[in-house]
Amino acid sequence: MLSFLLCFPVLGAILIGLIPSKLDSSRLRQITAILAFIIFGATIWLLTQFNLSDPGWQFSEYLPWADFIGLSYSLAVDGLSLPLIALNSLLTIIAIYSIGENVERPRLYYALTLLINAGITGALASQNLLLFVIFYELELIPFYLMIAIWGGEKRGYASTKFLLYTAVSGLLVLAAFLGIGFLNGASSFDYDIITTEGLALNTKLILLTVLLIGFGIKIPLVPLHTWLPDAYTEASPAVTILLGGILAKLGTYGLIRFGLQLFPDAWAIVSPGLAIIGTVSVLYGALSAIAQKDIKRMVAYSSIGHMGYILVAAAAGTRLSTLGAVAQMISHGLILALLFHLVGIVERKVGTRDLDVLNGLMNPIRGLPLTSALLITAGMASAGIPGLVGFAAEFIVFQGSFSTFPIPTLLCIVASGLTAVYFVILLNRTCFGKLDNEKSYYPPVLPTETIPALVLTLIILVLGVQPNWLLKWIEPTTDLFVVRVHPIEQVAVNNKLN
Amino acid sequence: MDFSSNIASQLNAGTILPEGIVIITLMVVLIGDLIGGRNARSWLPYGAIAGLLASIAALYTAWDSPSTIGFLGAFNGDNLSIVFRGIIALSTVVTILMSIRYVEQTGTSLAEFIAIMLTATLGGMFLSGANELVMIFVSLEMLSISSYLMTGYMKRDPRSNEAALKYLLIGASSSAIFLYGSSLLYGLSGGETTLDTISTKILASDSSSSLGLAIALVFVIAGIAFKISAVPFHQWTPDVYEGSPTPVVAFLSVGSKAAGFALAIRLLVTAFSSIVDEWHLIFTALAILSMVLGNVVALAQTSMKRMLAYSSIGQAGFVMIGLTAGTNAGYSSMVFYLLVYLFMNLGAFSGVILFSLRTGTDQISEYAGLYQKDPLLTLGLSLCLLSLGGIPPLAGFFGKIYLFWAGWQAGLYGLVLLALVASVVSIYYYIRVVKMMVVKEPHEMSDSVKNYPEIRWNLQGMRPLQVGLVLSVIATSLAGILSNPLFSLANDSVTSTPILQSTIVNTRISQGEIPSSNINP
Repeated sequence: MLSFLLCFPVLGAILIGLIPSKLDSSRLRQITAILAFIIFGATIWLLTQFNLSDPGWQFSEYLPWADFIGLSYSLAVDGLSLPLIALNSLLTIIAIYSIGENVERPRLYYALTLLINAGITGALASQNLLLFVIFYELELIPFYLMIAIWGGEKRGYASTKFLLYTAVSGLLVLAAFLGIGFLNGASSFDYDIITTEGLALNTKLILLTVLLIGFGIKIPLVPLHTWLPDAYTEASPAVTILLGGILAKLGTYGLIRFGLQLFPDAWAIVSPGLAIIGTVSVLYGALSAIAQKDIKRMVAYSSIGHMGYILVAAAAGTRLSTLGAVAQMISHGLILALLFHLVGIVERKVGTRDLDVLNGLMNPIRGLPLTSALLITAGMASAGIPGLVGFAAEFIVFQGSFSTFPIPTLLCIVASGLTAVYFVILLNRTCFGKLDNEKSYYPPVLPTETIPALVLTLIILVLGVQPNWLLKWIEPTTDLFVVRVHPIEQVAVNNKLN
Repeated sequence: MDFSSNIASQLNAGTILPEGIVIITLMVVLIGDLIGGRNARSWLPYGAIAGLLASIAALYTAWDSPSTIGFLGAFNGDNLSIVFRGIIALSTVVTILMSIRYVEQTGTSLAEFIAIMLTATLGGMFLSGANELVMIFVSLEMLSISSYLMTGYMKRDPRSNEAALKYLLIGASSSAIFLYGSSLLYGLSGGETTLDTISTKILASDSSSSLGLAIALVFVIAGIAFKISAVPFHQWTPDVYEGSPTPVVAFLSVGSKAAGFALAIRLLVTAFSSIVDEWHLIFTALAILSMVLGNVVALAQTSMKRMLAYSSIGQAGFVMIGLTAGTNAGYSSMVFYLLVYLFMNLGAFSGVILFSLRTGTDQISEYAGLYQKDPLLTLGLSLCLLSLGGIPPLAGFFGKIYLFWAGWQAGLYGLVLLALVASVVSIYYYIRVVKMMVVKEPHEMSDSVKNYPEIRWNLQGMRPLQVGLVLSVIATSLAGILSNPLFSLANDSVTSTPILQSTIVNTRISQGEIPSSNINP
């Protein structure tokens, strides 16, 4: 079944490349959307078949591949990866509808979208470290082309910067994995076989640091984040949905899966540092967002901030905080996708992203009332207003990490308030006020643009009111992680006592 | 009677059957050209390809043959030599496919070109199995002299002339240095020319780590590093690659380089088995320099052929990781990488030839906007370049990961980390070309692409070029995913080669990794 999720989009991409030319953009979009809905249906089916009481691997598939280097085709999912795979399939559909109707070079765009879907599913489901690296690096070129072809004015610069940062990230991860494999003398890189037990603590710390820098670029953490504002701003909103909604999650996924689980004792040592870096990210993201004049840039910086929560939660490593970290990944993916989708609509219809020019979009007749209303909902969800999924996730994060890292958690809560500040600025400058009578003749918003946003809003609302529908997939797995990682809390408490 | 059968078994002429087929093909091509004149050119290239394929088939039957030593110890047809001879023959097959149209268009004789190319192939194939100093030098010269001729084949083009002169002067001097090193070996070993005897004699004498041996090593490496274009013996590469006819460049970058690596493994592992650490050290330095210089200077190139020249210097640096590792995995990762390098580089050069045939230029900036006019070329060239950069799931990624894996396993952490960084740099310049071709908008098209001729595959010699391009691209895309047969081929060639196995075991004992009791239970 997981192989189907992997192969189907690839075959679909090849199909789109091969079907007779002269199909217009909207017909290609329909075909791609059908394929994407099949993929999404398959993930939903997988969710229903998922055994909630089993915290381990499910739907395992194993084929030997290149035994010489310890690479095997080994797939499985657990409560950490399956929700992210579902998010991936959902956002692929959103990204297909989020690009304008008349996209240039539609064939390449839709083929790359499907390839990206396959690559991310592969990375999330792979149970072999080298296989993970293959899928992780597989994202490089499609995303590069996505930014470089369908981007804004400075797309050349942004895409190259993205490419180099991400390539470095991939190689650091590869180096760390090779290190884990050989220093242990393991002949296979299968996740179940490989452990870091038996390594000296210093070696573990070095490997973990390399891994942290590698994934930290992708997340991104604050000193390694400089590719993000450029890439998010220059990419088209649809690409940013994939980039921020899912690709960034691969970083945090890798951090939890490989950092936390493979290095439980080294993790306990670095976790206070991680909590500080996470807090700095949160504060930095929020404060930088306040200063921006461009909506996309503002949302991009907000993304840095929200990813910081995940790091703080993962660093704490308690039962609740790990659960919160995964929940925050999903919630941030949904909210970011909604925000960028709406920003994309505003940019297409109004023709600017400048906060000093936008005004009065709430106007029911000549403005974009529905889009603005949804934008307000999305902003509130992002800022952590109760009743929406952002609040649920953040609250679990805060509650879970408070016992371990009280001061970083308090600072995060302050930053969460700052999030509200810049979203109020954003909403105030765009939705409220008066329309400029000379310029405001906006084209109508099409149903194909509104419906994805409505669906996302609905999911955000439902999961906010009933967070258990999200958490029940994740909880057994994260509970299992915490059993392994138990020493962290102990160490942190001991440090405090001494 | 007894005497003659003894001679026959000592000669063991069957070991060079593949080369014999190439010689016959060469003769047929030459004589066919003389008799048939210009009419013969319609079948000659295909005859040459058929001959080479027959030679590869003969190599296949010789796999795992029990008696590999031929010609009184002058030639060793072991599995390692078979793999390298196969790589060289295959690179010639693809080169001939791409040269038909190219040479035709310049108005020179195709048959002469193919004859010289086959001679170079022959030299390379003999070099892969040569087991004796004189034989090594003769085949090395056979390869080199044919290469000078091919480099200057476009004799009306001043750049081709200049390249030939430069290659000749540097090549002849490096051969002379190599010869001096060989003569030192001959003297140090008390008059032996066969490699394994040299090794035993030197180990037995007190000169096993003398200054003389060290000088011989350095001189020999100067000749080898010239063939594989390792920095600082690389200076000819960019100029020769830019000036020579493009099919020749394709052959030099794959066939000639593979021959150089074959020579490196055989000569260094056997004759210099007593000073393994020294040549490992030298090759570590060469690898570091090649990876840094090859990849960094390639960033600043504007001509496609020159960019690929520096890229081939950098790629040689990656391959040297396997040589420095000196383990089973190290050698087989070299073989594997050279196998996939064949597909990647020949695919890339086919694309370059196709583009220059249609537009008459090979400047990188002239590729802008190509995707609209020629999607097949864009796809093929992009895949090959990305594979050279090591992007999954293409062949080059698996080649690189195997090299890094082998290097890391052998404890070469620094070298592998440097190689990782170098491959990020390489991604940047490879993707620059992809960006030119794919990302540029229609209004940013270069002049050559605006005036791009209509694509016609039915011209004389275009179909083989297309076949060569498509086959290389398919191999590049799939050789990574379906890598198991190639992996086993590379591994078997190393593990079933006695010379490598004996030295690997020796090295481990001397480093104390395996107690000697384990080896002879």
